[in-house]
Amino acid sequence: MVARVQSLDARRKARQHAAERPRVHSVPPLRPAPPPPPAPGTPGELLAEAARQLWRRINPDVIGAINDELAGRLRRIPTRLNEYGYDPWGFNVDVARRAMIVTTLLYRHYFRVETHGVENLPDGRVLVISNHAGQIALDAAMIGTAAVLEREPPRILRGMGEYWLPTVPFLNVLVSRTGSVVGTPKNCTDLLRNEEAVIAFPEGIRGMNKLFSERYRLQRFGSGFMRLALATKTPIVPVAVVGSEEQAPAIANLTGVARLLGLPAFPITLTWPLLGPLGLLPLPVKYRITFGKPMRFEGGGDDEDAVIAKKVGRVVETIQAMLDKGLRERPGIFF
Amino acid sequence: MKKVLITGIAGGQGQLVARTLLRRQRGYQVVGVDRTAWEGRPRGVTMTVADLRKRKFEDVIRRERPDVIVHLASVRHFKAHPAVRHEVNVNGTKRLLDFACSHGVKHVIVLSSSYVYGALPENPYYMDESFPLNSSRTYPEMRDLAEMDMLATAYLWRSPDIAVSVLRPVNVLGYHVHSAIGRYLKNERVPTVMGFNPMLQFIHEDDLAEAIVLAIENHTRGVFNVVGPGAVPLHVAIRETGSAALALPEFAVRPAIQQLFRWGLYPFPPRAIDFAKYQCTLDGTRFREATGFTPRFSLAETFAAVRA
Repeated sequence: MVARVQSLDARRKARQHAAERPRVHSVPPLRPAPPPPPAPGTPGELLAEAARQLWRRINPDVIGAINDELAGRLRRIPTRLNEYGYDPWGFNVDVARRAMIVTTLLYRHYFRVETHGVENLPDGRVLVISNHAGQIALDAAMIGTAAVLEREPPRILRGMGEYWLPTVPFLNVLVSRTGSVVGTPKNCTDLLRNEEAVIAFPEGIRGMNKLFSERYRLQRFGSGFMRLALATKTPIVPVAVVGSEEQAPAIANLTGVARLLGLPAFPITLTWPLLGPLGLLPLPVKYRITFGKPMRFEGGGDDEDAVIAKKVGRVVETIQAMLDKGLRERPGIFF
Repeated sequence: MKKVLITGIAGGQGQLVARTLLRRQRGYQVVGVDRTAWEGRPRGVTMTVADLRKRKFEDVIRRERPDVIVHLASVRHFKAHPAVRHEVNVNGTKRLLDFACSHGVKHVIVLSSSYVYGALPENPYYMDESFPLNSSRTYPEMRDLAEMDMLATAYLWRSPDIAVSVLRPVNVLGYHVHSAIGRYLKNERVPTVMGFNPMLQFIHEDDLAEAIVLAIENHTRGVFNVVGPGAVPLHVAIRETGSAALALPEFAVRPAIQQLFRWGLYPFPPRAIDFAKYQCTLDGTRFREATGFTPRFSLAETFAAVRA
């Protein structure tokens, strides 16, 4: 009993110590590192092993430490809040912190995200452009979490959501409180003029629901982001996410069923709809996020399509090159 | 000395505008028209009891020959028959603008509302004045107000000699005004839709009166959103005005309100519930730049004004 009390005390001290350090990148180790994982087996075995690891790591102490760490980091974001704790677009620190406990657990213990080049994210207005995949927008959540956990000072990335998001009960509130807005040009322009960091996925739904055979091949990019970047003189930071495109390998996308159910897509993955709601759980792939150097473009926001398309092409090439490099250099999909 | 005619002067907002004008250094002569008399009005105010729809109203303009008309006399509540609302808001405003043109009025300020934009899921935050007035797509009861707004806007090109200002203020709160949002928030249990909590903007009634007077002083011309100190989620506004939210699932709240509205037990038609679901938030840059208007009351003070 005494030993237990002492160990709790030691943990608290470790936590305090961690909170005092200015840059905290990981949870202090609570127990000796686990033995090296066995060689990758079947996806089922991997999933079971990941679930065991996750369960072992989620205990109140870890969550408390993450909560404290996030609270400390979110105090330093440049976003200005009114006397009730909201910014003009409905962002709220308390809700964001609670939601980010979940994404931080996913970030550190499920996808074990490796982030490179986060210092390329400048201060002031910036447009983050990334590849998009994985059937659920976890890539957006992981990039956003990286910007809070790894960048100095932390920043909130403002997502540009689909037009139907506000009609979904509860989800619309969560999306809004964590900093996202409907992706209208006006919202994007206002946020950038307010010196916020906006994240957009010009592949849109085409990327999100791409098939496994199309993984890491960028789909057609919309050009709206480039017009807005030019109109507001905003630098673009290209981001490549490696891992997300294998988290839910889709064999097919049943557009007919999707239309019938009023959904944007109805993918068939290895686990969905085979395993029911559980099948929505992505595979525990390892995420590798790379922030590229800011790209600055000259020109007008209402130039001809061909002129804009050339500039969009340069962003596509940059991200594709970053993806290819990441794929070449990674040791494996899951590790 | 400028002479300002206020229609709807006996209403809460009308009284505030009159008092604000009288306090001004440069001095204004304030005359008013309303269907009911303003008891205990200040010494500087003369008023005529007349109906916007009647002949007597034209006579007031002919006799008084005001420089400026502030048009606040529109029907906003839903107790009146839709035909009456339409008659007053659309036809009444048209008559007023025609009289103004033919009797040498130089400036007419028409008080519209942020509601004319409508609460729709794809609304951006901070719609500017160029956004279409979409309210009637989901909220047909609001059509007469949108029509009034656009009718007044049309005089900008139809009669270039007369400066028309259409003001679209966000939710007005205060002790004197009887605003829709005030009535909604003053319920002990405020019905909301479960799973929705849109951002709402508010402005204090005194700030709106100040904005109207600034529009007069700057001789503004055009359409202007008038916004207050900021936005908060609906549930924060409900809490801060001292009420409690009654969050019901949408399938329950719509039919319930439909019945209650039909029986006259609830003041808003069921379509109004969209304003408790989606944003209808405005960009006030244009008015701020045209007049230098900045709200004096904070959000907390604006909410406190309701409880006073």
